[in-house]
Amino acid sequence: MTTLAFAILLMASLAGYALNRRAATGIRDGGARLHSVSNYHGLYALLLMLVPVIVVILIWLVLQGPVVNAMVMSALPAGTMDGLDTGQVDLILAEIRSISGGRIFGKPDPWKLAAAEHLADLRQLAALSLVLLTALLCLAIMCFARQKVTAEFRARQAVERIISGLMIFCSVVAIFTTVGIVTSLAFETYEFLRLVPLSEFLFGLNWEPQIPIRADQIAAAGAFGWIPVILGTIVITLVAIVIAVPIGLLSAIYLFEFAPKRIRAVAKPLLEILAGVPTVVYGFFAILVVAPAIRSFGASMGISVAPNTALAAGSVMGIMLVPFISSFADDALSAVPRAMRDGALALGATRAEMVLNVLFPAAIPGIVGGALLAVSRAIGETMIVVMAAGLMANLTLNPLESVTTVTVQIVTLLIGDTSFDNPKTLAAFALGMMLFLVTLVINIFALRIVRKYREAYD
Amino acid sequence: MDDLRAITRDVDINATKISARRVQVHYGDTHAIKNVDVDIKERTVTAFIGPSGCGKSTFLRCINRMNDTIDICRVQGDIRIDSDDIYDRKVDPVQLRARVGMVFQKPNPFPKSIYDNVAYGPKIHGLARSKADMDEIVERSLRRGAIWDEVKDRLHAPGTGLSGGQQQRLCIARAVATDPEVLLMDEPCSALDPIATAQVEELIDTLREKYTVVIVTHSMQQAARVSQKTAFFHLGSLVEYSDTDEIFTNPKDRRTESYISGRIG
Repeated sequence: MTTLAFAILLMASLAGYALNRRAATGIRDGGARLHSVSNYHGLYALLLMLVPVIVVILIWLVLQGPVVNAMVMSALPAGTMDGLDTGQVDLILAEIRSISGGRIFGKPDPWKLAAAEHLADLRQLAALSLVLLTALLCLAIMCFARQKVTAEFRARQAVERIISGLMIFCSVVAIFTTVGIVTSLAFETYEFLRLVPLSEFLFGLNWEPQIPIRADQIAAAGAFGWIPVILGTIVITLVAIVIAVPIGLLSAIYLFEFAPKRIRAVAKPLLEILAGVPTVVYGFFAILVVAPAIRSFGASMGISVAPNTALAAGSVMGIMLVPFISSFADDALSAVPRAMRDGALALGATRAEMVLNVLFPAAIPGIVGGALLAVSRAIGETMIVVMAAGLMANLTLNPLESVTTVTVQIVTLLIGDTSFDNPKTLAAFALGMMLFLVTLVINIFALRIVRKYREAYD
Repeated sequence: MDDLRAITRDVDINATKISARRVQVHYGDTHAIKNVDVDIKERTVTAFIGPSGCGKSTFLRCINRMNDTIDICRVQGDIRIDSDDIYDRKVDPVQLRARVGMVFQKPNPFPKSIYDNVAYGPKIHGLARSKADMDEIVERSLRRGAIWDEVKDRLHAPGTGLSGGQQQRLCIARAVATDPEVLLMDEPCSALDPIATAQVEELIDTLREKYTVVIVTHSMQQAARVSQKTAFFHLGSLVEYSDTDEIFTNPKDRRTESYISGRIG
């Protein structure tokens, strides 16, 4: 039925287009001078129909489910719902829905069968009214648009207004999605903080996210201090940045200033391929190549190295960030005016001196901005650390030990059977919230630096 | 006209500083400079004039080997400063550029302090033995750039904060700080307002006492005002090279005459 509504809308808007266009052409052929060419009159009818009616249909579809459910539940025999919590109410609703879908298990109560029938009727009705509403709206708008067609009507501006309305709608969707994500995070985080005090979460030095299965279990109480987890993230991020920044920066400078054309033509796309490698593949690389190499190297030096070190995960993550940093550095370097380079060269500076003394200081805000964005990517990176980092939350700064990260913990907390009323699961949302806040602050900081640098040479 | 002639007589006494023979420049497939022969006199202002794209800037950039920094550019022929071949294998272009300073079309101070801008050249070439030495070089250069009085109280303010004309004089001071023998100027006034232009032109005239100045300019009035010798370039060739008053009053070549009277260009 929804498809039918869309089909009606499409046909009606095409018809409106043709109608208006013909009317406008008729006026022109009658000798009048049109303000807008007839195509715009047609487009006006088309867009005037398409944009608002699609919005109406979408809103209808979003609201239809909950409204129908509420109507079914309120029509149940009085007293059925007394003393039931939300979970049980949901269960009844699900059963009614599956009955109306034709999947009947056992012998359901007669009131459930009645409700299922009611539900099916309501759905039918809703779909029918949607189609009717669409048709009526289309007809009304078509008449309205047709009556607008005159020689003086400014269809060009009208079309522009409708299109700008469409753009506003799209940006609002993007903004509301963000708001929705943050709200859902905040809601679950609030639930978590009702079970675990904020001070324990923020300052606790132990992370053992478990809950007792039986009441008499020994050592079952979990500990939810996020310090060791964020410390692990910081260690891995630091390793990644220490590796990514020099490699990315120096390769960018080499490709930008020193490399002959032929090498640049080959090396730059190769570097960009690195950016296209899926992180899961980086994860393989970390487990199969880097971690054993570090371990055997440590063994040859007489140092005991954990099998899944922060160093292995961090260094592979650093390699992942190299193209990111180098493309930012490249942008920053090419934004430095050529006159600046010529000035230094003409004073008798060598290329290296020129890069170091003139290009680099001029490009540094852009490079720092890029590095900070890389940091927030490293903090949020999940797949590599899930595969290559540990699960134990060790309170350590030693990159040769196994550490865990915020993202790894979120993944492990949410894997498997979960219920959303215990701190173990909810902790994932609290961690997600903190991750979101940390990366948000870093991003704001980075964007501010980048913007400042943009003003430098204008 | 009389004083112009007086200058001309001076010039003829001076020795040749730069001598170019059969210079050819190719940019990729474009033949930008064709067989240019020219002798530039010591302690003289020589102006290169000509329509856009005639190769005058390209030729200027041959004299300090700035064209080497462009991958696709090839320079052939023979350019000598004081009878040393500057394209000889033994010559280090980096050292050469300390001997041959350059000022660009747009003022291009580094995003550093005024002091550091001027001190940059002497620093990389190791011309100052001590801080006091460097202070002296900076002050002397800024005085030669005729900007000392305007900036002496804010030597550590950023050079980019100066006005356009001041920035250009700062760049001239920066160029003379390495104690060059030749100063190349590539349309040094084209980004400046008339007052700043007058100041820079006045400065160029005083620079002649110590340096051999070669200036590329689009303004024929400017060439007439500041130079003693003028070379007219057209389509990559040197058409006419002579005393400035000679070029402007009595050009030998028909193309020079057309350009000066505004018919080509």
